[in-house]
Amino acid sequence: MNESALERTARALDLVPYLLEHQGISITELANVFGVTEKQINQDLVLIHMCGLPGYTPLELIDMYYEDGYVTVSDPQSFKRPRKMGRSEMVSILVSLDLLKSMRSDALRNEIEELQTKLLSSLQFENPFVVVQDFDDSPFLQDLERAISKSSTLRIVYLSGNKDERTERIIFPLEIYRANQATYLNAWCQTSNADRTFRLDRIISCELLGNSDVSGAPGQRDLILEQEGAVILINKSARNFVEDNRAIIKNIEEVSGSEELLVKLNPVDSDWLVRTVLGFGGGISVKEPLELANDITSRVQAIQKVYLGK
Amino acid sequence: MSDNKTERLINLTLALLATKRYLTKSEILENVAGYKGTQEAKERMFERDKDDLRSLGIEIEVGDLDVFFEDEPGYRIPRKSYELVVPELTGRELALISIASNYWNDSILAPSAQSGIRKLQSLGIPAAVDFDFRIKYRFENPTQVLEELSTAINQRSKVTFSYDSTTLKIRHLEPYRVLFWNGFWYLIGMDLDRKEIRLFKLSRLVSGIDISKKRNEFQIPTNFEAAAFLPKSDVAVLHRAKINIRKDSALILRNRGTFIEQDGEYETFELSYENEITFLRELIWYETNIKIIEPVSLQNALLVLLGGVVK
Repeated sequence: MNESALERTARALDLVPYLLEHQGISITELANVFGVTEKQINQDLVLIHMCGLPGYTPLELIDMYYEDGYVTVSDPQSFKRPRKMGRSEMVSILVSLDLLKSMRSDALRNEIEELQTKLLSSLQFENPFVVVQDFDDSPFLQDLERAISKSSTLRIVYLSGNKDERTERIIFPLEIYRANQATYLNAWCQTSNADRTFRLDRIISCELLGNSDVSGAPGQRDLILEQEGAVILINKSARNFVEDNRAIIKNIEEVSGSEELLVKLNPVDSDWLVRTVLGFGGGISVKEPLELANDITSRVQAIQKVYLGK
Repeated sequence: MSDNKTERLINLTLALLATKRYLTKSEILENVAGYKGTQEAKERMFERDKDDLRSLGIEIEVGDLDVFFEDEPGYRIPRKSYELVVPELTGRELALISIASNYWNDSILAPSAQSGIRKLQSLGIPAAVDFDFRIKYRFENPTQVLEELSTAINQRSKVTFSYDSTTLKIRHLEPYRVLFWNGFWYLIGMDLDRKEIRLFKLSRLVSGIDISKKRNEFQIPTNFEAAAFLPKSDVAVLHRAKINIRKDSALILRNRGTFIEQDGEYETFELSYENEITFLRELIWYETNIKIIEPVSLQNALLVLLGGVVK
């Protein structure tokens, strides 16, 4: 990468006060923190080492040691404290706090708010970003988080959407995340001996079991009926399918002369795909495989029969 | 080349920061390491360096307070304007900031969040405690546009972009705010063609954004509330439906609804819903295990939806 002298200067100005507070830090860690290569950090240090105040005798130079891959600063000259933050630094920090806050309804929410007020009190500026807070979090969120940080197992009662059943499971929670307007938990499910994803709003009870042994090996894939190589045609009205499901899309082709998209999918749960197609009412049609298209037609006919009695 | 210039900029910053009185240009050119060549060349170099430091956000104060150098302006960097001033942060607060900034993933805002945090970490705040909370937010970060829109809004410059829409493709906008809502980013502003405030989903931008070169082209209305322009979820527009559910099925619907009565092989539940299509998509999941009883309009909507699939 060809970096400008300005970018390098900015980094050097930030390096010295950082080193001062992290005496004896390794070059490897430093490179990591500053997001550059170790070679680059070494070159920066050599350069900084030659800078100082007019006179430029050893007493007036920035004094530091970097031996055996570790750095210590003994005299930073005028660079004792970090530079003030720029607008984009401030904005990205405040917005990320907003994002964090939008996921909490607990005490942490107030804590983040106070922190933001504190940060803003030292800097007057307009924040162009607005994070809209609008979802309920699960009453079990904190239990789940505690279980993850303590590596504990949980007993949950879960309503499965796919299989339409209520099950009690022993799980070892791994990760909680929010995506597409719902909050999910990835966990090792001892009951089914596989990794599973649960929606938090479908967990109806949750009990912490403590640090018991988990049998089985997390990382094992569950056996679900997957539809491989499905090709679907999406018209204008169903475009948000593409936005909401990027992860399962293999490739997209525009159909010339129309506003339609021909989309190849990665392997997906076939039940999920069928029901999603039904829900778009013709906005999505299945091109391949033929059996899937036929399956959809027969399911539609079955539902129609409930109402029309034919 | 880059080495020399970087070194000179650092030396200049150090000298201007260390001095209590103003340094004159000739003092700087003579004493600060790195100024070489003819007098003219040195002066040009110094002018460029000043601009460069200012572009890094460093404030260089110009003054002529020193009686001995009446004709020459002097320069210095006031420590107060150079150094980061924030109220004392705790280790816990710093940890919160670090965790939060992970949301940027590979976005263009990630580097600025990281450099901001490095500065805070240079304040000598004691090491952080570990938090229990683990929840993450997975969303798509638009790459370039967030930073660009932030600049445009800040400068009050108009923007032009092409948008994936059936009617109007090219949009001219006075950008007011960027919104994050339900996992997606939106731009809100005065649509200059439609002459009203409109919301645009950033994932539907077809190309990049053109920012007008002019500044201060418009004003954002005082007390502008971006969130007020979002589609509302309103208790008043909640609809009620009666749904027959077959025994032991549609557990999620049962969990959410209120049992009313037994109806042959079905049990009737009352459920409320906000948006018809979203609700229908949920109902379709249970195929023939449920039957919509009321409202008739919802039943018809289901049949129209299914008719569309097999047309």
